[in-house]
Amino acid sequence: MSGWHLTPAQAHDYAARRSDEITAMSVEAHLMHCAPCRSLLPADESWLADSWASLRDVVDRPRRGPVETLLASVGLRAETAKLLAATPRLYQAWLVSTVVVLGAALLAAHLLPRGSLMFFFLAPVVPLVGVALAYGRGVDPAHTLASVTPMAGQRLLFLRTCAVLVPALLLCTGAALMLPHTTTAWDAVFWLLPSLTLVAGSLLLGHWIHLSAASGIVGVLWLAVLGLVSLSGQTVPVGVFAPQAQACWGAALAALVGLLLLRVRMA
Amino acid sequence: MKLFRRAHRRAPSYGPESTDPVLLTAVAAGEAEALEILHRRHAPWLRARLNYRCSDPDQVDAALQETFLAVWRNAGSFTPRPGDTDAGAWLWTIAIRQLISQLRRRANRWISDIEAEPYETIGDASAEDTVLLNIEHGPLGAALHTLSPELRAAIQATVLDGLTVREAAQILQIPEGTVKTRVMRAKARLREALTS
Repeated sequence: MSGWHLTPAQAHDYAARRSDEITAMSVEAHLMHCAPCRSLLPADESWLADSWASLRDVVDRPRRGPVETLLASVGLRAETAKLLAATPRLYQAWLVSTVVVLGAALLAAHLLPRGSLMFFFLAPVVPLVGVALAYGRGVDPAHTLASVTPMAGQRLLFLRTCAVLVPALLLCTGAALMLPHTTTAWDAVFWLLPSLTLVAGSLLLGHWIHLSAASGIVGVLWLAVLGLVSLSGQTVPVGVFAPQAQACWGAALAALVGLLLLRVRMA
Repeated sequence: MKLFRRAHRRAPSYGPESTDPVLLTAVAAGEAEALEILHRRHAPWLRARLNYRCSDPDQVDAALQETFLAVWRNAGSFTPRPGDTDAGAWLWTIAIRQLISQLRRRANRWISDIEAEPYETIGDASAEDTVLLNIEHGPLGAALHTLSPELRAAIQATVLDGLTVREAAQILQIPEGTVKTRVMRAKARLREALTS
């Protein structure tokens, strides 16, 4: 541009809305392209600070991730969605080990004779371990902080359980689909009811003892029973997953969930 | 999970003396301090200029707030013209549009929000407009003096503020057709004054 620039007096007049229309128009046309003249305008420091403070409130808010946005759009409350989305991040190590364990089970199933047994043993235990690590003193580094929030207790326990169960069940289903003998959808979810029953059992047991201990007991029981059945050799352990057995699992699950609800009501 | 999180765009190194495009790249990469520098640099003059368009300081402040939030969200869409180290025109375009939607929201709640048009710098102005933007030089100032306030306001909204006819109609609160005829009349009058 040429040598025309604002005088400090013109700048002050303009900022104070004292310029006449024509001057204002030329000042504006000039300011659009002249940074030095812009800085001539008096800046109201306290206003600037206020304005930036309220801007920073919004800007500093963490951006919502895709999972959280999805959960919120389903109709969950914002804080619940945030909690659910954040929980798997607390248990990244568990997620990674789940993938490794399931991968090993798949490898065994494909390479060893009767190798699918390993998957039968493991599939119901994997979600159980996740739940065991989801809540309680000793496993949650922030438990002392979390336990004094209004959300703590049953609500937090169940929310975290859901947040752990969903990825665990998805991973197990994915692994089951890749088993060598999977042909129908039924083959992919045969372990689901036993798994949920174990989780419900450990949650119920968790009312009396530490949740991790409860899950440990239930998990060891499961492995022991299955080990005994397969060692005795007569009945194939697949019998535990047979359609008749599934009915029993379903009944047990319903009973356990009923008891859990009853406990929550009473509490 | 960290593994699947989108890798952050690297922010360029910047400081209070950096040019606007550098700062905007940093803002696009999520740097709040870069936005603060931009805010400190541009908020005062944008506020002064918006004050001439709207006498309610609360609405001006709200519009400015929205402007910088829009910058925070859309900083990546700023494409400087080669050699241009200044985002003033781009920022003004956002600010005046935010003011218009602010006024529309307050005054006419029953008018449904029109889809916001994408922010563009006032770019391909006609030769006539370029002449008009150099008000400070030559006899144009005197020529503008001869215009009636209505014609001047129409020229100001469409040429100086870079608004579309529809936006100008909204901020001046007159029908779009009236904006068009006033701009035409004003330009004809100016041409007459400048060539005679």
